[in-house]
Amino acid sequence: MYPVQLFCWHFMAYPYLPPDFDEKYETGWVTVPNSLWDSERSKGLYQEYIDQLVYADELGFDGLVLNEHHQNIYGLMSSPNLIAAALTQKTVRSKIVVLGNLLPLQLNPLRTAEEYAMLDNMSNGRIIAGFAPGGGQETFNYNVPSVAARRQFWEAADLIVRAWTEDGPFNHEGRFYPLRYVNTWPKPIQKPHPPIWIPGSRSASTFVEVARRGYSYFFSSRSHGAETDKAQKQFAKVLEDHGDHYEPRRMGILMSAFVSETDRQAREECEEGVWYFLKNCLKGHLRREGRQLTIGPGIPYTPAPAWKEYLEHSQPGRKLLGDVENWDELDASQSIIVGSAETVTQRIWDIIEKSQVGNLLIQFHLGNMPPELVRKSMHLFATRVAPSLRERSVKLFAKNFPAAADSAEGRATR
Amino acid sequence: MSGHAIELRGRKAWVLEEGNGPPLLYLHGFVDVHSVTKEWMPFHRGLFSGARVIAPAHPGCGESEDNDNIDSIEDVVFHYLEVIDALGLERFHLAGACVGGWIAAEIAVRHPERVCSLTLVGATGLLVPGSPIGDVFINSQPQRGVSLASLREMLFSREDHPQALAWFPDGRGPIDNEVRRYQMLRFSSQFGFKPPYFYHWKLAHRLHRINAPSLIIWGEADRMVPPTHGHAYAQHITNAMGPKIIQGAGHAVQVEHPEDTAGLIVDFLAKQQ
Repeated sequence: MYPVQLFCWHFMAYPYLPPDFDEKYETGWVTVPNSLWDSERSKGLYQEYIDQLVYADELGFDGLVLNEHHQNIYGLMSSPNLIAAALTQKTVRSKIVVLGNLLPLQLNPLRTAEEYAMLDNMSNGRIIAGFAPGGGQETFNYNVPSVAARRQFWEAADLIVRAWTEDGPFNHEGRFYPLRYVNTWPKPIQKPHPPIWIPGSRSASTFVEVARRGYSYFFSSRSHGAETDKAQKQFAKVLEDHGDHYEPRRMGILMSAFVSETDRQAREECEEGVWYFLKNCLKGHLRREGRQLTIGPGIPYTPAPAWKEYLEHSQPGRKLLGDVENWDELDASQSIIVGSAETVTQRIWDIIEKSQVGNLLIQFHLGNMPPELVRKSMHLFATRVAPSLRERSVKLFAKNFPAAADSAEGRATR
Repeated sequence: MSGHAIELRGRKAWVLEEGNGPPLLYLHGFVDVHSVTKEWMPFHRGLFSGARVIAPAHPGCGESEDNDNIDSIEDVVFHYLEVIDALGLERFHLAGACVGGWIAAEIAVRHPERVCSLTLVGATGLLVPGSPIGDVFINSQPQRGVSLASLREMLFSREDHPQALAWFPDGRGPIDNEVRRYQMLRFSSQFGFKPPYFYHWKLAHRLHRINAPSLIIWGEADRMVPPTHGHAYAQHITNAMGPKIIQGAGHAVQVEHPEDTAGLIVDFLAKQQ
């Protein structure tokens, strides 16, 4: 049986905001003025972030995770494929997860088919291919009508996989991307194609579309309480409905972690970066302060009956992750796990044990955290947290998923 | 009030119809019947003495079913050609506010022979360099999770207008009201959100095809569709009156000044008899 897979996720936040950013600016997304970009201080920033990911490869993380955001201070990877390309040349072992390219923002999904295929070749078959429709911010950033984006998304994803698996040239008669000659060069190394991950926020239709195609599901919540367990159970149920079976490798979750020598030291060291992340990076995304653009009536892709249901089960102005007011509230959200190796191990183990999720995508760099602290935390995690999580999860998964254990050999992460 | 459904090749469209006189097809905007209320507003009632007002709810709005084939203004026009045929309207007076005005203008340039008169109130549809149309979508995202002040500010002459606070309240209003507003956003996003934003490059150069008498009405303080757009419509439509600027009114001119707005239209229609 396989152990839990531990990934290092880097968002590449902008770390040089003025101290009064939260007071002066309504949002860190879409309209956050780019006059705040400090060209002098930012020299070498991408190199530092890439080097942190290369360090994760050296430390034995199972994979490195990149994603795509635009016009914001939360994540400076407007083109994650560029960073992935750099990583293919500087790492040798770990998977490279692009989670994912935002397909509706592109003129043509063939570009992603081509670039992921190139990356798979350049990395000798280490790419995990993520496809995402993009959140509300991207609707505004790229002026993509959100209703059509959701329709375009699956046509684009299916076209990419067909371009990888079917010999060309072939004719694609899609509604959104009709193409006379689909004939992607190169083809990916991994057969039949690189593993495919699809992010979702517990919407029923995404579970179904993912299950129908046999892909893996990434639950994009940043907090891990009852919702995460619910998502896993729902996904497992939908898989059963499609004649498939849940196993831990079929699902991933995102969390943040900071490890230091003691609980107290950990908190002291990370607190500045954590609050920078919560107050600045999440402003406009997971914070009610300012104007949240991630979901809402202005991004009306949800059909009206589903929106009505959402309204009936949600509170206007409820606190989001970035609205936590103190450390205890933050702790309770199970989003940013901070402490000694023992504490972090136990807290993450509790999440694994409850949720039965086999891919942990962990963010170590938060906000404006100094590089040396990020590296120390990653090192402590890799040497004093990861071994125990791996050892215990092999036993847990073998016990709970005996069928998966039999078929685990020779089967790549999907 | 007489609400009824009409059938369009398997889809249901909901229509309100009331009043005395020649048929007036009225297409609604954001602060309007079907978008914020199920019932007529005082403005529409003010038209009943001069016309039989026929106000269909846009696809996906109110009790009208979704039309999955809409992703451009062209598709909306074709939807309304089906509505017009199903209603048995040969020739008719045509009016619209906001997005509804844009749709009305797009119908009129394609079928000028069927339009007896055209009335546009704060209509989107045109590109006026230097006068962008306000972003109803980003302003529908509440500030601090609860406040729609910037949306009210854009749609009304003042943010604290009583009707603005009633229909666009902070926090959670009645769910049916919220869903109704959402339906209008969803419908209009399908053809109005994509670049270009709530306008059609080619409309200005097609407006000359409208030969029916036309009335252009605008709120002086319209912050969603600036009055420059009213002047542009008046300039491009051959036989246009206006823009009649209603002093002190915002984008929701028909809500803020219902008697004045309806009075202008009734007088205008009377002259067309």
